[in-house]
Amino acid sequence: MRASTDHILTSHVGSLPRPDDLIEANRARQAGERIDEPQFQEKLRMAVSDVVRRQKDIGIDVPGDGEYGKAMGQRIDYGAWMSYCYHRLDGLDFTGPDMHAMPPRRSRPGEIVLTGFADRRDRVRFAEAYADPESGITIGRRPPTGPVCVGPLTYTGQAAIAADTANFKAALAAAAIEEGFMTAIAPGATTRMGNTFYKTQEEFLFASAEAMREEYKAILDAGLVLQLDDPALATDWDMINPEPTVEEYKKFATVQVEALNHALRGLPQDRIRFHLCWGSWHGPHTTDIPMRDIVDLMLAVNAGAYSFEAGNVRHEHEWKVWQDVRLPGDKLILPGVVSHATNVVEHPNLVADRILRFANLVGRERVIASTDCGLGGRIHPQIAWAKLEALVEGARLATRQLWA
Amino acid sequence: MRTSSDHILTSHAGSLPRPDDLIAAWGANDERALAEKLTASVADVVRRQKEIGIDVPGDGEFGKPMAQRINYGSWWRYSWNRLGGLDPHGPSLYEMEPRRSSPGYVVLTSFGDRRDRTQFAAAYNDPESGITTGPRPPAPICVAPITYAGHDAIKADIGNFKAALQAAGVEEGFMTAVAPGSASRIGNSYYKTEEELLYACADAMREEYKAILDAGLVLQLDDPCIAENWDQINPVPTVEEYQKFTMARVEALNHAIRDLPQDRIRFHLCWGSWHGPHVTDIPMRDIVEVMLRINVRAYSFEAGNVRHEHEWKVWQELKLADDKLILPGVVSHATNVVEHPELVAERIVRFANLVGRERVIGSTDCGLGGRIHRQIAWAKLEALVEGASLATRRLWR
Repeated sequence: MRASTDHILTSHVGSLPRPDDLIEANRARQAGERIDEPQFQEKLRMAVSDVVRRQKDIGIDVPGDGEYGKAMGQRIDYGAWMSYCYHRLDGLDFTGPDMHAMPPRRSRPGEIVLTGFADRRDRVRFAEAYADPESGITIGRRPPTGPVCVGPLTYTGQAAIAADTANFKAALAAAAIEEGFMTAIAPGATTRMGNTFYKTQEEFLFASAEAMREEYKAILDAGLVLQLDDPALATDWDMINPEPTVEEYKKFATVQVEALNHALRGLPQDRIRFHLCWGSWHGPHTTDIPMRDIVDLMLAVNAGAYSFEAGNVRHEHEWKVWQDVRLPGDKLILPGVVSHATNVVEHPNLVADRILRFANLVGRERVIASTDCGLGGRIHPQIAWAKLEALVEGARLATRQLWA
Repeated sequence: MRTSSDHILTSHAGSLPRPDDLIAAWGANDERALAEKLTASVADVVRRQKEIGIDVPGDGEFGKPMAQRINYGSWWRYSWNRLGGLDPHGPSLYEMEPRRSSPGYVVLTSFGDRRDRTQFAAAYNDPESGITTGPRPPAPICVAPITYAGHDAIKADIGNFKAALQAAGVEEGFMTAVAPGSASRIGNSYYKTEEELLYACADAMREEYKAILDAGLVLQLDDPCIAENWDQINPVPTVEEYQKFTMARVEALNHAIRDLPQDRIRFHLCWGSWHGPHVTDIPMRDIVEVMLRINVRAYSFEAGNVRHEHEWKVWQELKLADDKLILPGVVSHATNVVEHPELVAERIVRFANLVGRERVIGSTDCGLGGRIHRQIAWAKLEALVEGASLATRRLWR
């Protein structure tokens, strides 16, 4: 994995705005309309090529494929990073409730369970705001049904991931870029769906780890950097109602980390990065668990780099966590220094200030400037690209100060 | 004006979310019902501010008409009902003809031709982008001498607010009024020059300022035009030209508040509260000295959003005159995410370390009413209070 050896590298969390024609093609394909599959694949390949070139043009050092292979059939879509795996796993039935329609489940001391999305604590506290279509807390159109695990989970996405890695590698080669990253969902986030097959949540989690491991291997075998998306590690806190103790939560979440590490066993840690976030919807986020309470859990993930939100007003102050936490010698961090959480474009000077704070604590070589979360589906395309430009400009300002 | 003599005081920029029944009353045609609703709503909103710990409350700008939940403009459109000499049926500010500036000739263009709006046209025009601006009513045209005609309205506002303050046992409250520079952004077919229109607005609005001060309240002058006119000049002028253009507005404002008790006047600067990218905002550094020429005791400005957060550093180099105060925005309407109290404290401490703890009042970037959901608005005010209390603990230990 590239490190910021002579300047602050820039990257981002993965999802980038899709072109309208790709969105329409995804919509038609998902809806089962008759489409020309080779033509669709060609459109996808071209779109990946364009988005990689554009990242290079504006100065993103470590680009991604924009998650374009993870189908987004509408412009506002906060869930493609997760829903894509439903189409790459066997053992699922699609007649279950959508996560927003799942019934509430109450946790008790000693028995921690995830409740339905509608019963999340921030959502309950701000019910009126979440329910108001004018509040700006958009989450896009909700699917009528959701998946349920009804049989043994197996990975069936071989062709899809082969196409994704091929499209991306061709795009990287064409743009003469040495390193690119591709995202894949971590087991913890995969297993939020219903399950009637596995006896315990832990069995389900490890089955999912085994299945998704195939995708992780495919990405790494292709020579790419693998980014594991695991907001569950942080956002599950808000999904436990009533609020548990931090100790209980950590016990609950540790199993997820163990499952993820199981999935990663023997894989090249140096090319694996991990993404943590508190959920990308535009809500108040008052029930986000503090970084301080989960940073050691995050660092227990066997990855070479850690990406996390640090560029929105709920988590910006948490750079101070790194005053007390020791980052193991060879690891990197990718703090979010621009965010999907506001339409206002970060001033490059603010971006530089944020980078400097981290660099002063963990060392300049170990900071890659990044975004809070994916920008695609969450913010207007024009604003998303302006934020990436601000990120690059801010990283340049920081570089000038750090290598002065 | 109260200062943070033994703890960091909290206040805000003025507008607070209106209750639905007040919004409905503003949209209906029953003066008496509206008046009653206003009295009750102002009492409620002052009590609620006191309950959550806002030290220097306002009336939420409830007396300034807002008949929609999303409305970014009532802070200045209210003046259209309080000024004589206007024909109310001009084009909306978005539909006005664009006007091009040139070196030596600086004019405001239409809202539709603002530079940020032009640069991000697709985003501004997308109803799903979150860049809502609410209603776009026709703007008035000045067709006769401008006079102040809001005596009854301001009297009612003051009566409601003073009763509410007294009932809640609050010693000091502020009331907003639009400054001449921002009030004069209307069509004009009567005055020969922009400057004449500006001074006519200054003379007329002075009556409102006096009424607020005579009532013993703190007057807050809202004048975003000092900062956001920059974006409304197309193409971009030089900073020198802009400062000169803006000094005319500052002088008109100083004219309007001549001989009034400066100690009870505060000034509010902002770059426009719509949820846009704001990449064409003029840097604080380029206008702060112009702002400080305004003859007031305290200055309120945005410092809690990602375009202006870094500008606390401006105060490393500037000397704030000894008796003056600042009200930096430490929570903002620009994001639905509620500021963490730790971040609020961090922001306050940065300012306090530069200008002195007694001279910082924790405030909001801009009004919250009409711009963000009411539940979130109140949660942000609570975060402000909690953050100020954390900062106090650090600054007075």
